[in-house]
Amino acid sequence: MASSATAPTAPPALSLPPSQFARLQPHAYLLAHLSPPASSQQPSIRANGRAPSQFRITSANTGSLTHTNGSAVVRLGDTTAVCGIKAEILHTEDIASWSVSHASSPSAPNKRRKLTNPTEKPGEDRQDGSSQAEDDDDNSYIEDFSLLVPNLSLSTGCAPGFIPGAPPSAHAQSLSHQILSLLHSSRLVRSEDLQIWYQRPNLGPEELERHNEDEQMDVDSAQDGSGGVASEVREIKAFWVLYIDIMIISLAGNPFDVAWTAVLAALRDTKLPRAWWDADNEAVVCSDLVSEARKLSLRGLPVSSSFGVFEADAASGWRAVIVPDAEEERKIAESDRKGIQRRWVLADPDGYEEGLAQERVCLVVDKVQQNGKIVIVKLEKNGGFAVDRKQMKELVETSVRRWQDINQILKEC
Amino acid sequence: MGGPIASLHPLSRADGSASYKCPATGSNVLGSVNAPIELPGRRDALKPEDATIEVFVKPGTAPGGVGERHIEGILRGALGRIILGREKGYPRRGVVITLAVVGCDNIARGSSYLPILPALLHTSILALLSASVPLSMTFSATVLAVDSSGEIVCEPSSTDAAAAASLHVLAFTSQGHLLLNESEGRFDFDTWERVYERALAICHGTSALGSDGDVAMSENVDAQPLEGFVRDTVEDHIHREYAWKIDAA
Amino acid sequence: MSSPLILLPGDEVPTDYLPSNGSAPLRLGPGLRLLSEAHPTPASTSKHVLTATQAGILSTDNKRNAISILSSSNRRYVPTPNDLVIAQVHHSSVDYFYCMITPQSPHAVLGQLSFEGATKKTRPMLQGGDLVYARVLSTGLGAGAEVEIACVNPATGKSEPGGLGPLKGGMVFDISTGFAARLIRASSAPSEQQEVAGLVVLDELGKKLEKVGGFEIAVGRNGKVWVDCSNSEDNAVRATVAIGRCLTAIDEHNLNPTDQRKLVTRILREMKIES
Repeated sequence: MASSATAPTAPPALSLPPSQFARLQPHAYLLAHLSPPASSQQPSIRANGRAPSQFRITSANTGSLTHTNGSAVVRLGDTTAVCGIKAEILHTEDIASWSVSHASSPSAPNKRRKLTNPTEKPGEDRQDGSSQAEDDDDNSYIEDFSLLVPNLSLSTGCAPGFIPGAPPSAHAQSLSHQILSLLHSSRLVRSEDLQIWYQRPNLGPEELERHNEDEQMDVDSAQDGSGGVASEVREIKAFWVLYIDIMIISLAGNPFDVAWTAVLAALRDTKLPRAWWDADNEAVVCSDLVSEARKLSLRGLPVSSSFGVFEADAASGWRAVIVPDAEEERKIAESDRKGIQRRWVLADPDGYEEGLAQERVCLVVDKVQQNGKIVIVKLEKNGGFAVDRKQMKELVETSVRRWQDINQILKEC
Repeated sequence: MGGPIASLHPLSRADGSASYKCPATGSNVLGSVNAPIELPGRRDALKPEDATIEVFVKPGTAPGGVGERHIEGILRGALGRIILGREKGYPRRGVVITLAVVGCDNIARGSSYLPILPALLHTSILALLSASVPLSMTFSATVLAVDSSGEIVCEPSSTDAAAAASLHVLAFTSQGHLLLNESEGRFDFDTWERVYERALAICHGTSALGSDGDVAMSENVDAQPLEGFVRDTVEDHIHREYAWKIDAA
Repeated sequence: MSSPLILLPGDEVPTDYLPSNGSAPLRLGPGLRLLSEAHPTPASTSKHVLTATQAGILSTDNKRNAISILSSSNRRYVPTPNDLVIAQVHHSSVDYFYCMITPQSPHAVLGQLSFEGATKKTRPMLQGGDLVYARVLSTGLGAGAEVEIACVNPATGKSEPGGLGPLKGGMVFDISTGFAARLIRASSAPSEQQEVAGLVVLDELGKKLEKVGGFEIAVGRNGKVWVDCSNSEDNAVRATVAIGRCLTAIDEHNLNPTDQRKLVTRILREMKIES
């Protein structure tokens, strides 16, 4: 990967091409790149030529799969993911629990609403203007009826070691779960986008579409019992279920960031046809007019950035050394500035670096459009002791910069 | 709300086992550890100088799914840093940890595993201790929820967890390192720092930083730090097992 | 032994618990490791710390200048050379008997001629299910290695320590491995030394059953104990069962010496063994 010019590691006596050295002594190879001798006047740089906090070149392309409702190809260095989203209709009568919990009274579905309301601060600004009660409503529909179904496959040929016909590896399953739980916890997709309504003919059809405030009022009045007729007027008849299939076609480290960016780009690209319940045919009917199809209105743009921690001491596992406790660790961190650096936090590790980094950090951040506030949606750190509070703060800042980049890339594609 | 209840070595056929029950979150986990054992059929996949750690999580009522695979990966990562897999007798062998979720509110597909993660972590560390697997240190973990008004709820019940704006699981080693952090929901960095302070106070009883930590301390005065709980559980067990020796001395 | 110090992994061994014998090198037993400073600076002298890697009681031996951790002993049996085990023959081949030491491990091999005075013609004819009291000879190296056991000391050709060989009659009881280790220590200790390993049960049973003919006992480190009272004629079965019950009850409830005596008296009375 690195040209011989950037490898100060191979001493002249032992003529070993860098590529072989990298394979034989991966740890020493990367360490030599990151801590070049002071005399060489070279900056600390990774074996792949990036600075520690530099991400690989990212590109995204949307709408390339025509038979899907939305699709995207995202490439991050040599890791590439294709994501296709297919929408299918789920009738409420096919949901076993629907008639019990929802149809009888439109206001019933939310036990959660009652729980959260008393604690809600009146002045608190939620992400984008919609009230909190509605958010919770959303969440429960999407989670209860599994309206989002992501599936990630690490397909044959994306990296050596993936055998055709093997069941999904634990890694692929784990990634699928991470994407699903991030879709749920970030509440990226609004359930009102996925609802298909039946409108009694006595109301104008134009109210079918956008119904943020109206609906809220409808529900409220139904709750009060004053609008007996109103509660009969609108009824959810079906949901859109989004099947989100992600295929990693080339794996060179950091699959989660790529997969999530692909999901994000594909969801931004997704168009659902206008659909309504036709009482005469007793079926959901979709309009075939492209002009009537609408995009999903996503909540924010959570961007994921992953990091790996590379430890200088390769033998730390072998040699029994005193592990400094957290207090001493902080002191060491201070002295780091002057002396030798012991560990590097590498942004967006590639496949080579991933094999050398035990400790991983994954951060998903979002920037609220209105006030520019930074919101963390997910923060995972596992497998080591190195990243503490201070480093975490730096990582959040790096992730925010990354958010700007991805935001730009997704806007342009 | 009572503290957690744990017992060591409830299963006699395994090398080590532990059961852990946390009344606040309603989680109840039974775990066993077998180590070192020969892992069959995959000799080429075993690391020549290190032990292979395998974690299996079995949900109580449903067959395992993608959620379990994910949580197994998290546990393997955390425990892998604690277990000394290069000690004598361990390289090329396996450390197999099996965790059965005996009782908790059902975890639906795609929903968060975080509320039960501390119980899984505690069960595995206690089972590892009872199996005398060499470890570099111990750890303790806790789950915290932040509700929409910014209040921190320690060890939330399942309804609290569902209503929370964000959920955090933090594990600290016995030497105070942040071993593991899993946070989800919507929160900012200041909230996370407050959660960190509080979690450190819950796990260690002392706070690394003064001013803010004192508040957390005063609220937790009656509850024993979790680190101490792990220690007491193990000490009780060893005391019982070596009663004959201690009495004789 | 001063007040017992229980250590958890990562705890440092306090210096005042180290054996005081300064001249001899310190021996580290299982469960302890020596850590050195990760980045020794030339200014400070190299710093070393002893930490525990297992949870257990710190035990120091001043005579041998050794220090170790007594960790939880009730675990699955892992064969180590020189352990005495009770094995069950599973099947045999021309050269070997294949024996089961623990149900979960592969069979151990026992040479057909690894018995005292055995020759091609006089070797014991063991069937599947027969029991032998044997010593672990070697456990082999690496994964999947065979455990070899023997009923004879290969150097001397004698069955040392005494009693190795096929076990005939009697009955086997399952006990925990920790209790088995204690029983071995208690039975091998000189008889005048009272209450070795906190066990008086064997002495007590020995006294009480002397009149009915006494009993034979073999303890295997693999958590098995074999008891035989064939000398006591019509009481044989009852006495055997009584001894087994005493041992398993003491193991299960972790009884102290006073309770052990009470239990022995109670069980012998219940089983109607006159003493």
